[in-house]
Amino acid sequence: MPIEPCVDAASVGREDRIALFRLVLLQRLFEERELVLYRQGRIPGSVYTGRGQEAVAAGAGLALGPDDVVAPLNRELACHFARGTTVADAFRNFFGKGTSPTRGRDGNMHFGAPERGLFPLVSMLGDLVPVVVGAALAFKRRGEPRVALTFLGEGAFSVGDTHEGLNLAGVWQVPAVFVVQSNRYSYSTPVSRQMVNTNIAQRIYGGWSIPAERIDGTDAIAVLDAVRAAVERARRGNGPQALEALSVRMHGHAGHDDARYVPAGMREEFAARFDPVERLASRLLLDGLSADLIDGVRASVTEEIAAGLEEAEAAPAPDPSTLEVGVYAAPPWPDR
Amino acid sequence: MTSTGHLEAPGGGAAEGPAGSITYLEAIRAALVDAMREDDRVFLLGEDIGVFGGAFGVTAGLLDEFGEDRVRDTPISEEGFVGAAIGAAWMGERPVVELQFADFITCPFDMIVTVAAKTHWRSGQAIPIVIRCPTGGGVRGGPFHSGSPEGWFVGTAGLKVVCPGTVEDAYGLLRAAIEDPDPVLYFEHKRLYRTLRAPAPLPSHRTPIGPAHVVREGSDATVVTYGSGVTTALAAAEAVDGDVEVLDLRTVWPLDEAAVLFSLEKTSRVLVLQEASRSIGAAGLVLSLIARKGFELLDAPPALHAPPDTPVPFAPELEDAYMPSVASTAAALADLLAY
Repeated sequence: MPIEPCVDAASVGREDRIALFRLVLLQRLFEERELVLYRQGRIPGSVYTGRGQEAVAAGAGLALGPDDVVAPLNRELACHFARGTTVADAFRNFFGKGTSPTRGRDGNMHFGAPERGLFPLVSMLGDLVPVVVGAALAFKRRGEPRVALTFLGEGAFSVGDTHEGLNLAGVWQVPAVFVVQSNRYSYSTPVSRQMVNTNIAQRIYGGWSIPAERIDGTDAIAVLDAVRAAVERARRGNGPQALEALSVRMHGHAGHDDARYVPAGMREEFAARFDPVERLASRLLLDGLSADLIDGVRASVTEEIAAGLEEAEAAPAPDPSTLEVGVYAAPPWPDR
Repeated sequence: MTSTGHLEAPGGGAAEGPAGSITYLEAIRAALVDAMREDDRVFLLGEDIGVFGGAFGVTAGLLDEFGEDRVRDTPISEEGFVGAAIGAAWMGERPVVELQFADFITCPFDMIVTVAAKTHWRSGQAIPIVIRCPTGGGVRGGPFHSGSPEGWFVGTAGLKVVCPGTVEDAYGLLRAAIEDPDPVLYFEHKRLYRTLRAPAPLPSHRTPIGPAHVVREGSDATVVTYGSGVTTALAAAEAVDGDVEVLDLRTVWPLDEAAVLFSLEKTSRVLVLQEASRSIGAAGLVLSLIARKGFELLDAPPALHAPPDTPVPFAPELEDAYMPSVASTAAALADLLAY
């Protein structure tokens, strides 16, 4: 099957499409580099990628307004980039550098940027659902036209926190948006062994009366269109909104995981038709953009990653004498 | 008091007192009211705290003054509403959560130790939440409504744990906790709610988070305690033949190490008294400190008076045997003084 171009949604203009292309490509090429660095032993610990899911991260990240807040997880590097995180920042965190967003205190995708409205990921799945509901509650209390968004995987739908958070969002009618990454696997466990009703959008609507729709999570234009509409509904006071973005996790759970539990050929077949990066490139060509322009974006992203990596590698290691600084709010957290 | 429909601790109804005096429970309520009047960011979340006024009546009347937005009844979902408090604090609000019983802190444990405690250290984002925990036994509550779970959080980096043992500190520690930039667990003792009465603290009163406080000066032995142990220790000190100092930790984590060592230097004998079972929490921390830094100061082995390592039992005969009493504390003190 040939690659299927992204939809031609009128609400997503040329500028947005090019921005989306840059973001999905940034995540794709960053993570390819990250995996090489990991296998070379240059990144300690573990690494996580979101290959196959870049469109969700990019579309949702771009859908938010400047004052909105978001909690991206492991598969949503493009959301970070959409919200101002630099390649160097991200690499510094993977390396555990002293000037990383967590000052070397946490690694890989486990970072945020509270000053830019990015809540730092925690590994306990579902925790951030109630947290963004509380952020949205603050906006509602103050009458601010702002929205709080979190991603969560379908795996988090077996965690109690998720249900408690969605219930509170429904009861309180707060401006929160939930973007569910249904990528078919939680680590090695297929969705069929996680839940009986795998239609999460239906469950969210049926269980909490939160408007929810299923969208194509490999189509960046469709994602941006749908999340933007959901964010604006929430912003206008229509209460919480949810989207279930369908995709396939193209890598293992983490860098060490070869995903041998995935049936042979499934991912290859999926990629041939639904690779998010190529779907968007194909749409851009249909839009009349030249191959040269598209290649130009690829070249500039490649260059941006190389430059960011070089900057990150040159950053200083953390100073062990600062370890206990910032456990509490005073004395202040270390500068970089 | 039963006419209010609220749970009441046995062991005495509301203590009668002179005009201008208030109970420990009223001090907590006054701290909430004063903080909410002064700062719009302060709001309350918890089960049955609105119309009903809370299981113990701490928030009675607050809905009328502050409305549903600021006195927010929640569904039964401690992990959910503690998480929501964290999110609101992230956005600059000052939420104060009421857990119906301190025992229920097992439910939002993950939210507290994973999210609230670690966020500042790994991101620089302060999480100024207060979680009020009606704590302690002596109320015939059995294994799920009588616990002193502060010990699980003693030693957890990023959290502050306070346990008021007086009316003044019930007010002052809560005001300080609400103004503090860090997550504070505030353990208010149910048995003290209506049995302690003292002059109403001034609205400007704050009990600083951190320092312990000598509530009774003495030279022969020190009782290091907190929470419900303060009144028990003071009564036991009166009952023994010896000049006993009582050090009220007030903040059990982080521990005021200097205050413990300073008192030990004066008395050379120490009894650690806590209502939590003997192998958990603050007692071990204090005894470890004394072993490491106070060894040379000791005239007797440091003593520990605390319940056995069991859940809190229900039957009056069992619970009375379980809980440290004035008599059992005095006996432990007498042994220490006689060593």
